Amino acid sequence: MPGNPAIAACNLARAFGAFRAVDGVDLQVERGEIFGLLGPNGAGKTTTIRMLTTLLAPTAGRATVCGFDVLTEAPEVRKRIGYVMQEVPRALYLLTARERVAMESSLYHVPHGETRTRVEGVLDVVGLLSHADQPFRTFSGGMQKRLDLACGMLHQPDVLVLDEPTLGLDVQSRHGIWEYIRLLQRRGVTILLATNYLDEADRLCDRLTIIDHGRVVVTGTPADLKRSVGADVLQVTTPNADRLCRAVEGQPGILRVATTGESEVHMYVGDAAATIPALMGLAAAARADLDRVTYTQPTLDDVFLLHTGRELRDGGTP
Amino acid sequence: MSIDGIIQVAGHPSRSFEGLRNYNQEVLALARRWWIETRRDRLNLVFSVIQPAVWMAFFGIGVGRTVDESIIGTSDYIGFMLPGIIAFTIVGNGVSGAMPLMWDKETGYLDKLMSMPIARSSVIVSRFVFQLGLNSTQVIIMLAVATLLGVRIETGVAGILVILVAGGLLTMAFTAAFSALCYRVANHGTFFAITGFITLPLLFVSSAFVPLHAMPGWMNVVARLNPVTYAIEAVRAIVLTGWEPAIAANLAILAVFAAVCLVFGTNEFRRLTGNRVGG
Repeated sequence: MPGNPAIAACNLARAFGAFRAVDGVDLQVERGEIFGLLGPNGAGKTTTIRMLTTLLAPTAGRATVCGFDVLTEAPEVRKRIGYVMQEVPRALYLLTARERVAMESSLYHVPHGETRTRVEGVLDVVGLLSHADQPFRTFSGGMQKRLDLACGMLHQPDVLVLDEPTLGLDVQSRHGIWEYIRLLQRRGVTILLATNYLDEADRLCDRLTIIDHGRVVVTGTPADLKRSVGADVLQVTTPNADRLCRAVEGQPGILRVATTGESEVHMYVGDAAATIPALMGLAAAARADLDRVTYTQPTLDDVFLLHTGRELRDGGTP
Repeated sequence: MSIDGIIQVAGHPSRSFEGLRNYNQEVLALARRWWIETRRDRLNLVFSVIQPAVWMAFFGIGVGRTVDESIIGTSDYIGFMLPGIIAFTIVGNGVSGAMPLMWDKETGYLDKLMSMPIARSSVIVSRFVFQLGLNSTQVIIMLAVATLLGVRIETGVAGILVILVAGGLLTMAFTAAFSALCYRVANHGTFFAITGFITLPLLFVSSAFVPLHAMPGWMNVVARLNPVTYAIEAVRAIVLTGWEPAIAANLAILAVFAAVCLVFGTNEFRRLTGNRVGG
């Protein structure tokens, strides 16, 4: 049904006893987007995904995928989604890559006559065709993940849901998977991507929602979100963080100040080059030593910090 | 009638035909997976296939010497033991046969399966189909070994077919029961603790080693509550006695038990996946 958003969630919630893993999430993912769910571990990303993939019934609110309700029209939803889980299922370690993909292609009702072409097609796209007859258990982490991605594409889904697709992978494998995700987008697949990697969300997503403690913190394009923080970020290491903060707060050119840890101060400024000399003067006047001053463009981590008062990086990224 | 009308009329049957075709495709794909995994795990396969034959040879021949013929009612102790060995091979296979389901559940692959557009029952049904094939093969091997050891089946080839039916009912019952248990319990440790606890009494408080009439009163009562007894009694008559009406009665009781297990197993599966979403 064109016209419907790929995914729409309204006040979606899931409680486990008294614990509200997802606590009223609103999402709208348009067709053809790469949409990110960014948040620390335990923020409710996987629980949200499990509801959208019909694996978990919401305790409140509702959600549709391609216009179908995840609770009352689950079979229709399942036909239209591909789901790549956070952990590669080790259950199939005795099968070869080809056997696994062929089995899943039958489970997606790919006609028997097309199985071989379809299986080899997806294996080829993820670069595993030459390893097709190798047992799955001999695959490296990156290869296993690519195989998982291949399986998620077998039935040419409208929406592909990826839960931490590059978790624990080396740099090269991550780039390979990002390339593959972009390729799928060019083929018209909508992608919902949960991640706690800032660079992944930044580079890959057209739009993203930051979630924390089961709630939406903010939604937007990576560029807009970063722009909302300020033009530049000065990262200052100082043993006198409190004194420095008091000295610079409210000074011209300094939009906002945040401490992250005992000796780390982030200053959101209009123009770093123009502010640094002023900072030096203010620090000297306040008798605050500056061990180190660097400046960067704002990252999504700064966005997270701005909205939650914490750094995402501290959230236990493995 | 317009073309649209014809398509509309034809639409429904073809859709249900498609549903059936999809269902078969799912069950076959999963059963094929079970078979590939079993075949790759070669040592496991070899040992589980030869175990009942070894049991029959050593236990049957050895213990047979110590058994009073007037109590068991036959001089053919291996023939007397055969139904019990068949029944307990199937019970044992029910326990080990639930392991792949447990493995899927514990590694999360069950979630992946449930996110696919497959019928909710495909997983258990595929497991049953696979176990039925495996158990029937084992029953035939056991019958062949028994024949080599001198057992003559009173009812002949037709009797063998009925033994396979009894084996099938028992397979259905215990595949469903142990699948239910596997979906019910928290982890495989609990699963093995419980199955270890119940399989031995199932064996000893049945007519596997002792005929019902030779049991003390209380044991007779318990043995009659044990569904395995009915499989053993039916098969024992087929092997030792010949056709008699009690065979049909015993198989009927077994069928009821299998149906109850199936309902129980399906419910447990629904409970597990229903905390998620049904459909």
